[in-house]
Amino acid sequence: MTFYVIRRVFIGILLLFFMSAAFFALTRLTPGPPFSTGENPRAHQELVDRRLHNLGLDQPWYQQYPAYLNALVHGNLGDSYVNNVPVTTLLWQRVPNSVLLLGVSLIVSLLIAIPLGVFAATHQYSKVDTTTSVLSYVGISVPSFVLGIFLLLGGAVWLRHVTNGGFYFPLFGMHLNASTTDLGDLVWHMVLPVTSLAILSVAGFSRFMRASMLEVLHQDYVRTAKAKGLPARSVNYKHALRNAILPIVTLVALQTPQFVSGAIITEGIFSWPGMGLLAFQAALTRDYPVILGVVMLVAALTILFNLLADVAYAVVDPRIRY
Amino acid sequence: MADQPLEKAPQEFKSMLGGTKLASVLASEGALRKAAAKEDLVVAEVAEPSELGFWRLSVMRFLHHRAATVSLVILAIIILAAVIVPIFQGNLFRTQDYTHPYGAPFQFQSRVISLPVGLSVTIPWSDHLFGTDGLGSDELARLIRGGRVSLTVGLLATVGYIIIGGLFGALAGYYGGWIDNALMRLTDVIIAMPFILVVIAVTAAFGGVSLTVLVGVIALLGWFEIGRLMRAQFLVLRESEFVQAARALGASDARIIFRHIVPNSLAPIIVSATLGVSGIILLEAALGFLGLSIPPPEPSWGNMLSDYNDFVLRGQVYLIAFPAGALVLTALCINLVGDGIRDALDPRQR
Repeated sequence: MTFYVIRRVFIGILLLFFMSAAFFALTRLTPGPPFSTGENPRAHQELVDRRLHNLGLDQPWYQQYPAYLNALVHGNLGDSYVNNVPVTTLLWQRVPNSVLLLGVSLIVSLLIAIPLGVFAATHQYSKVDTTTSVLSYVGISVPSFVLGIFLLLGGAVWLRHVTNGGFYFPLFGMHLNASTTDLGDLVWHMVLPVTSLAILSVAGFSRFMRASMLEVLHQDYVRTAKAKGLPARSVNYKHALRNAILPIVTLVALQTPQFVSGAIITEGIFSWPGMGLLAFQAALTRDYPVILGVVMLVAALTILFNLLADVAYAVVDPRIRY
Repeated sequence: MADQPLEKAPQEFKSMLGGTKLASVLASEGALRKAAAKEDLVVAEVAEPSELGFWRLSVMRFLHHRAATVSLVILAIIILAAVIVPIFQGNLFRTQDYTHPYGAPFQFQSRVISLPVGLSVTIPWSDHLFGTDGLGSDELARLIRGGRVSLTVGLLATVGYIIIGGLFGALAGYYGGWIDNALMRLTDVIIAMPFILVVIAVTAAFGGVSLTVLVGVIALLGWFEIGRLMRAQFLVLRESEFVQAARALGASDARIIFRHIVPNSLAPIIVSATLGVSGIILLEAALGFLGLSIPPPEPSWGNMLSDYNDFVLRGQVYLIAFPAGALVLTALCINLVGDGIRDALDPRQR
């Protein structure tokens, strides 16, 4: 087990290394240098060249990469080209906000999806089951920005009549103004973005939970438990659910990149000052160090979560041995 | 003789699938066999379902999936509209009617049409059935034209990544070795990245986005799932008996791959590709929404929504509802068709 974990960590580091090389090459090989967008078009060419030279960007990527890698090993992700702040500082500002938003929506969606999926599976082909599966079908076909826009519309326009003109839900940002740290205010600001993220995850998770639960319910030991005369509730929740819930752990771990992808759009719509918004703005201005920083962070988290999921799996399920 | 089972077969089939056309096909085949039997020819006994062939049976099974069939019809209408209607509309999608910006949808006025025979009839008529956008362009024309972009990107990128992924997956699965290792590690790398962020970074780096760039970027970055699927299929089929038989008969690698393994590994690829089309259409829409798809005035369902702030604050729900509805309807139909295809190709998975 220890050997397995060490091996996995080693492979993960190797993977991160490859990823940094791949993404580094990808950003450098695409046409157009940085500063060709979002900069003053009348900027003196000589100044632009000097800046490129100072940042080492006039060299080919395979000569830039070792320097980058060296800095990376020392925990330095470089400075943002656009606002000259270390990328680590930017990430420290933004990541907690994203974690707050994504974590809360993940918990909310799991709290809804798991009971829903279990109920749908134990009452297969009932009205609740068919309604759930139809709704989750629609749910996976709705892109996150469409949902976000409609929530905005609902919060802004349709609920206006309730409050005599003002917006019912705050539409943008984390706080009413930057100085407040009021918890109630924060929660109130989170309602719409969390709803937007959670609805989409519920659709996916509940489908998965239903399938997983159905698979377990058809297994022999469940039939044995039923044959012993155990009440249905005990069979469903004590015997079946415990095994059916395991794959969800892996699913959640595997979905980390998708969460961040979804967060890019949701954070954009609701102006949530998180990592996704940072990465999007960086991509538009070709702020390579920031993009690379976010991608590496997400990749590292994905690898870490996968490892944790596998280890947790082995702890919970004694049949699995590494 | 083989008379009896042959005569019984059509009825059995009719009750099983309920297809009358199928029954008649089977009946004619049965008659043929009976004639052959009368002349005392030896008729080979074949299990009934296999006489229809895998693909015919799959089509029959698909048509019995009601939601999938309805979705296929709706999808066909959407695709036909997107292909045909813009040909007749010319520049209507970017003709700006400055006198009617933000025109409301479904505004009918009566219009008198005089027929050549001397009669004249009054019909309800609307210049802009779905209203107009902020520049006074016809929303319906934009919607149909936008569908063209979305569907083109969806289909072309999918074809692209089936070719790339299929090829790499086949090579990796069949030959194994370093190409297999390279593929698997590359997939690990790509899977751990947030896909949309990578696509945004690459498309933003290209500056002006065109259809070619969009399709190229999505196809080049999105083929990994198909690649893995193809690899898994090849790993299983490579060791199967019919492939061993082909190899024993001296078939070349190319012949084994393309004649024997590929046709047998298509089913999951087709399902995954169908679902992939809806994924790419939604991805393109997300990119358009962020302003990174086809630049205006060319509309796409995504970039029609990119001015959402205006629409939300002005309360112009229809300008949001039509593109969003088109997007969701298309994605839903494709997903249902994909589901239908999965059930049809692999009935065990139900």
